[in-house]
Amino acid sequence: MRRLRFLFQVAITVAAAIAGVRFALGWARTSVETYCPFGGLETAYALLARKRFTCATGEVNLALFVALVGLALIARKAFCGWACPLGAVFEWTGRLSRRLFKRHTFQGFWSIPPRVDAALKVLLRTAVTATILAASWATGELVFRGYDPYYVLFSAHGHDVRTWSYGILGALLALGLLVPMAWCKYLCPLGAVLWPLSAVGRLRLERSEEACTGCGACDRACPQALDVSGPLQVRSGECTLCLECTGACPTPGALSLHLKGAGR
Amino acid sequence: MKTPPWAVPALVVLFAALGIGGARLLAVPSVVRDYAPAGPGPRRTVVLVVDGVKCTDTAERAANQLKDAPGVVRLVAYASRNRLDVTFLPSVTDPAAIRAAIEGPVYDESSGEYLFGVYKVVEVDGVEAGK
Ligand code: SF4
Ligand code: SF4
Repeated sequence: MRRLRFLFQVAITVAAAIAGVRFALGWARTSVETYCPFGGLETAYALLARKRFTCATGEVNLALFVALVGLALIARKAFCGWACPLGAVFEWTGRLSRRLFKRHTFQGFWSIPPRVDAALKVLLRTAVTATILAASWATGELVFRGYDPYYVLFSAHGHDVRTWSYGILGALLALGLLVPMAWCKYLCPLGAVLWPLSAVGRLRLERSEEACTGCGACDRACPQALDVSGPLQVRSGECTLCLECTGACPTPGALSLHLKGAGR
Repeated sequence: MKTPPWAVPALVVLFAALGIGGARLLAVPSVVRDYAPAGPGPRRTVVLVVDGVKCTDTAERAANQLKDAPGVVRLVAYASRNRLDVTFLPSVTDPAAIRAAIEGPVYDESSGEYLFGVYKVVEVDGVEAGK
């Protein structure tokens, strides 16, 4: 499963990069923005209020966003762990960080009490999301393009990308080395929108107390640095169902995936 | 209910397909422009794919290109598909004249100058447009 997920991540990242280059060279008419589900939310207000899409967004963004809501209600943040090219890049950055700094977990250099961490995730991401939505709804433009790491990384120097845009991207990658997945955990607006849906998502990992030996391999493998070996069920809305934990667990039957509300 | 791990990638693929496929059902025009009332007679609609039409603003500008074109009745733009559906009176004009009007110089209000090569019609009714 790990290998399959890695293939998914490589495929989506390469596809995004190729789409960006093709658009930049004039070989294609759809830019990487077309496939960003968050663009669907950015354009929703313009569609309701003005009966038209926000500039550079369209029905693909909207349909992908609606599909993503459906996915999150079942498979939580699986989009982030399996299909987001930016998530893949930041996960690889986190893996590099573990090697560079010889750390065993994805916790990085940032260790704060779990409750404070959870509050920060909600507050920071909500602030980013509210700012972006307010600005794009007021102007009818995607005004944050130049700050958006997805766009800066994959648009092949697209419209609105300036020198400072690369500075921001570099800073986010550097931050991702110190605090693995920092963008996804604390700043990503799509992550903010998916989190409450993911928290009630039906697919959950369950830990069998009888089988589990408490070795902690799952905790060390989790890119989101979640506590997997503690609770009987991973309820956190941050779980991307990447299944790194099940792959790392040496004890058969200790961790398994369950569809809640569908009988036993 | 215990679920096999492959359910996760399967769901991701399924919902991505639903998203991309569902987009086809959501045709929301970026711009709808009715021109001066045209005379009687049968009407025809030509579907153009136009390089340069990529958002509401660029679709609006493309619509302006046709405001003085004789025989053009209505324009419906789907910017995210680079598509203009132009309804016209075949007794007065034809797709070639409409194409020429769209590809013509564009007046830029901010600079007060005419810009050339802003729009390029690349497809007419599903057929690649010739040079
Ligand atoms: S708990 Fe397991 S499936 Fe969820 S994010 Fe962590 S490693 Fe991935
Ligand atoms: S890796 Fe498996 S055995 Fe080890 S703590 Fe996690 S669930 Fe338990």
